[in-house]
Amino acid sequence: MSTSINNDQQTANADVDVSNFSRHLNGQNAPIWWGIIGLILIELSVVSAFTVTYLYLYMQHPQWPPNDIAPPPLLIPTWSTILMLLSCVTMYLAGKSVEKNHSKGFVIYTFASVIMALMVLWIRWQQFDNFDMRWDQHVYGSLLWTISGFHFIHIVSAAIGTGAIGLFGMVGFYTKQRQIGVVVDTMYWNFVAFAWLPFYLVLYYFPWL
Amino acid sequence: MKNHPHTEQAIFDDQEGAEPILDKTWLSPPGFFGWFTHVNQRQIGFRFVVTSLIFFALGGLLALLMRLQLVQPENTLMGAEFYHQIMTMHGTTMMFFFAVPAMEGLGIYLVPLMLGTRDMSFPRLNAFGYYVYLIAGITLYLALFLGMAPDTGWFSYVPLAGIDYSPGQGVSFWTTMITFIEISALTAAVELIVTILKQRAPGMTLNRMPIFVWSILVMSFMIVFAMPTVMVGSVLLALDRTFATQFFVASGGGDPLLWQHLFWFFGHPEVYIIVVPALGIVSTVISTFCQREVFGYTAVVLSMVTIGFVSFGLWVHHMFTTGLPHLGLSFFTAASAMIAIPSGVQIFCWIATLWGSKIKFKTPMLFIMGFFAVFVIGGLTGVMAASIPFDMQAHDSYFVVAHLHYVLIGGAVLPFFAGLYYWYPKMTGSMLSERLGCWSFWLIFIGLNLTFFPMHQLGLDGMPRRVYTYLHNMGWGEVNFFVTCAAFLMAFGFLLTFINTLISPYKSRAAGNNPWNADTLEWWAQSPPRNYNFRHLPVISSRTPLWQKAPLYKVTGIRADRREIIITTLLDAKPQGVCIMPSPTYWPFVLALTVGFGFLGFMFKPILFVVGFFLSFFAIVGWLWPARPWLAEKPPEEGHPVRGLQ
Repeated sequence: MSTSINNDQQTANADVDVSNFSRHLNGQNAPIWWGIIGLILIELSVVSAFTVTYLYLYMQHPQWPPNDIAPPPLLIPTWSTILMLLSCVTMYLAGKSVEKNHSKGFVIYTFASVIMALMVLWIRWQQFDNFDMRWDQHVYGSLLWTISGFHFIHIVSAAIGTGAIGLFGMVGFYTKQRQIGVVVDTMYWNFVAFAWLPFYLVLYYFPWL
Repeated sequence: MKNHPHTEQAIFDDQEGAEPILDKTWLSPPGFFGWFTHVNQRQIGFRFVVTSLIFFALGGLLALLMRLQLVQPENTLMGAEFYHQIMTMHGTTMMFFFAVPAMEGLGIYLVPLMLGTRDMSFPRLNAFGYYVYLIAGITLYLALFLGMAPDTGWFSYVPLAGIDYSPGQGVSFWTTMITFIEISALTAAVELIVTILKQRAPGMTLNRMPIFVWSILVMSFMIVFAMPTVMVGSVLLALDRTFATQFFVASGGGDPLLWQHLFWFFGHPEVYIIVVPALGIVSTVISTFCQREVFGYTAVVLSMVTIGFVSFGLWVHHMFTTGLPHLGLSFFTAASAMIAIPSGVQIFCWIATLWGSKIKFKTPMLFIMGFFAVFVIGGLTGVMAASIPFDMQAHDSYFVVAHLHYVLIGGAVLPFFAGLYYWYPKMTGSMLSERLGCWSFWLIFIGLNLTFFPMHQLGLDGMPRRVYTYLHNMGWGEVNFFVTCAAFLMAFGFLLTFINTLISPYKSRAAGNNPWNADTLEWWAQSPPRNYNFRHLPVISSRTPLWQKAPLYKVTGIRADRREIIITTLLDAKPQGVCIMPSPTYWPFVLALTVGFGFLGFMFKPILFVVGFFLSFFAIVGWLWPARPWLAEKPPEEGHPVRGLQ
């Protein structure tokens, strides 16, 4: 702290000229970067509230899932989880392409990510059909449907948002200098992908315990 | 207004005669339709404050109606149903539609001025938050006029609030509008956090930041972690009511107590979300009217941060009578007592500041003195209620009503009104009348003590809260009659302040830039500030920039012909970049309408939520649509090194 105060004392003795500062803010110097961190913090609170709600209700019940309901199968949800995490890699590559001003690569990787998200959505949609229990029979079913649905909506919004960014990329809006939109969209994308992990754990593993 | 192309003839704000250009660049379009495009932080903050005061008045009128019903035993002024509606609306209004938006409004108006910048980080999001707040408030009051208001208390306990015991739309309005208005609280919180962390004037390190800004920062972080819980709770309740999920239904394996946990995990921090900015106001006002820095800056700041943390470990003390395990109860009693430590540290710091100084007893300082008295009484009854054996007796009685009103009026309303008297000259350019202010303060102070102190006695006599009437032979009639009369006295006190704010611009003298000789940057701007807040952006080298002898250095090289602000580093506030801010637009209003459509539609036909979702998507794309010409990088000039802080 002492060094910084010294610096300030030196520099506070003069006007500060910022005419040559960059007007292109693409990382932690951009307010929107911090804004997305704020959004992610909010959503993390929501994710924890849902997870804690699940655990609370799980602990209230000696038998989970109730009665003659079988624990959910693991294979297909695991595939959708892996696919979702893989789409983070393509989003990362899309960001790298923008860094190098490869707009074609950016568009390809972006739409690859969107297609992977659509595949995840399709798998999830199948799962809704195969849930053993409706949402209005028992709180176990309510949790399964609500938490899955909550995350489903998030993938939908991440996918259409990223699709819109892909379209802007096609008309050449994103360049090395103008890449903050891609940076923050990728941050949100990664959050949506990783937010699934606690849900995956409670929804699919806790019923087996 | 479009983004200007990167022309050769850039005009900088340090040039002679740049004022008219700055004025035009930062102009909020006039006229009725222009009103919906405003994004400047001062316009939005002012709207938040004014709207929250209107809701405060409405909530107060509802309270007077309740007092009229309770003026005598077995009164027939209104039935149980209407009484429960206005009781619920009173609590909901005061917590969600007055206290939080009022504090956020002050923050939105003042924080950029205190930091020495020209707008907040996300001006359009700011505007969006305001419209969401406005739409939510209007909808809830429309429901009241249609006789469809919620009637299960501001806490909406299940199973009473479940579909079995509360059919009809009342509680649905509550769950929907609470989820909706939290969007507004959350956007403002993120906005304030980012502005505070990234837009401080060069040189304003974290330990030179005004205490009020610290309090707003702590409040915003608390909102980020507390409000999502009540959103999850109210969404689950809405699902229970609309789709028959079983979260809070015992017969379906759900648990009604889960609601109380979710609600109070938000609800207790909520109290401190309101109180912490009020503590910031107290420090600010005391410092100004003693004309010295607050004693123990670091201790005061750390106390507020500690209060923020500890307040998340208190929620179960609202649930002492629900039959939770004893070990858990003891933990929460200890945590509740622990909050007294940081609160005490602050009180001692304030006493040390006041000690031996020449205190100027202007109206804001009177309200702060009132805060001391009232808040201490509320704190003492809080310690009583934190001990479980006493709480078992007093729970759900008027003792709790007395306690919570002492805490909230003492801890939030009095400091907020102190802030109103203190910053009104900055917001409007004219002083509030001292004489009316003095009358108003004493009427409020005497009125509130006469109103709420006897309620302790009513509670100890066994009068339960939330009842619409009581029997003759209970012997509560005289005290209730007295309380109702006192409530009108207090209301008259508040009315005087409202009158004061309305007539002062026409009657009182001009304020000048710094009428109180305060030390923080907002008093460096004109009163009221120009469109662009400051003629020059300042460079800071001390904690009390306006009390230092040397003139402030300034930032040069900020363009005047487009909305530019300076971004600084998080800890040391070294300049890092220049950000171009967005201009006025209709999109935030449009988005608030589409999101509101989705939420309200959900109440009547769930599929309308999906429609609202996609309409909102289009509104967001329209909002973010990059205007041509796109900003291009100017090649760095050879042999022209970057000057300034590096």
